Amino acid sequence: MALVHIDALHKHFGSNHVLKGIDLDIEEGQVIALIGRSGSGKSTLLRTINGLESFDDGCIEVDGERIHPHETDLRALRQKVGMVFQQFNLFPHLTAGQNVMLATRVVKKMPEQEAIDLAKAMLLKVGLQDKFDSYPDQLSGGQQQRVAIARALAMQPRVLLCDEITSALDPELVNEVLAVVKNLAAEGITLIMVTHEMRFAREVGDKLVFMYQGRIHEAGDPQELFANPQTPELASFIGSIN
Amino acid sequence: MAYAFDFSSVLEYREALVDGTLKTLGLTAIGAVFGLAIGILGAVSRAWKLAPFDRIFAVYVELIRNTPFLVQLFFIFFGLPSLGVQINEWQAAILAMVINLGAYSTEIIRAGIEATPKGQIEAAQSLAMTRAQLFRHVVLPPALLKVWPSLCSQVVIVMLGSSVCSQIAAEELTFAANFIQSRNFRAFETYFVVTGMYFLLALAVRQVMIQAGQRLIARRAK
Repeated sequence: MALVHIDALHKHFGSNHVLKGIDLDIEEGQVIALIGRSGSGKSTLLRTINGLESFDDGCIEVDGERIHPHETDLRALRQKVGMVFQQFNLFPHLTAGQNVMLATRVVKKMPEQEAIDLAKAMLLKVGLQDKFDSYPDQLSGGQQQRVAIARALAMQPRVLLCDEITSALDPELVNEVLAVVKNLAAEGITLIMVTHEMRFAREVGDKLVFMYQGRIHEAGDPQELFANPQTPELASFIGSIN
Repeated sequence: MAYAFDFSSVLEYREALVDGTLKTLGLTAIGAVFGLAIGILGAVSRAWKLAPFDRIFAVYVELIRNTPFLVQLFFIFFGLPSLGVQINEWQAAILAMVINLGAYSTEIIRAGIEATPKGQIEAAQSLAMTRAQLFRHVVLPPALLKVWPSLCSQVVIVMLGSSVCSQIAAEELTFAANFIQSRNFRAFETYFVVTGMYFLLALAVRQVMIQAGQRLIARRAK
């Protein structure tokens, strides 16, 4: 059984039908790269998977946790789904370590020492073990994003969602973040990422999902799709970004 | 016309001045703690539209911000006993200050809460926090930090406003001044001294609050 199961998902923003029946199964340990033009629905799809966006029809199931349209209690789902954002969204009044610890303390009620140890381990994983006591405004964009990844990982999610996590970074900082994601993928973490880093999607992704006008237009092995796009839309999209 | 200043006639009453100062500070401290607590409750009710409290706080804020403090004080001091609630001058003074500061700080803190970037809230939600946890740990500390200078000013305004409590015979600093000048007939000197005292108190209260805010909310070394 798939770890993430999305079935006939529909969503409207007012009269705008943004997701027109999405079916997607994601197996444990897979790295999914969601690509497509802006407005194709890829970020919206990602955000429905942890309930930041509601949906109108269909259903989403993550590791046995099933949610229906307009569900309001999403906390059980969110404990299984971590998210990293384009704009990092670190809590500015807390140090890197406190950012990573906060949810383990208040949501999981973890004892303080255990939470500190876990936070240190997570910061080590993203290569920032010496930044435990730094505040976000003392860190570079790439470092902030790595702290944000550590913060999501500390909750030990079954799936990690990444929403264009390198788009707000200066070009020279992109690689340090991608290197962290690559390590996570190698460790077998299930990842769903909306990305514009095509080379990365091709190298690290197990499955490429191309969205077009609210539908999954084409999906499959990244190497094959990049080499032989089956639809003119994907061919034109790949052409436009190279 | 030469006026011969005679401050010794004021200094004779220094005990009354010290006592009045302590009472003014006490009123301000109690007013600040409870007023800010009401302000936090009011601000979250209004910013997050928590029915029916958002409406209740909206009416309360408008009522208090559009009426004079002295009238609010009389309303409480003379009004509540008519309703059968026995209340002395200190209880009335404290109540009036808490209610007054609560209304103004509701609006100040609300501005801070509404300035929270949406991404901060989404990040907290994605970490499975409840609304209460999110408010307590993610929204409130930066919001208070942002508006803390305005809150300090408002507390100082309320402290200076507490001088009208002398009108219901709460023996604070202005009451002490009125008492002294009625005894020594040296009104100019008396109010000269008391003006200076209020001025220094206002500076001190603001400094203490700003320092305390940095310690309590920011918890970071500058």
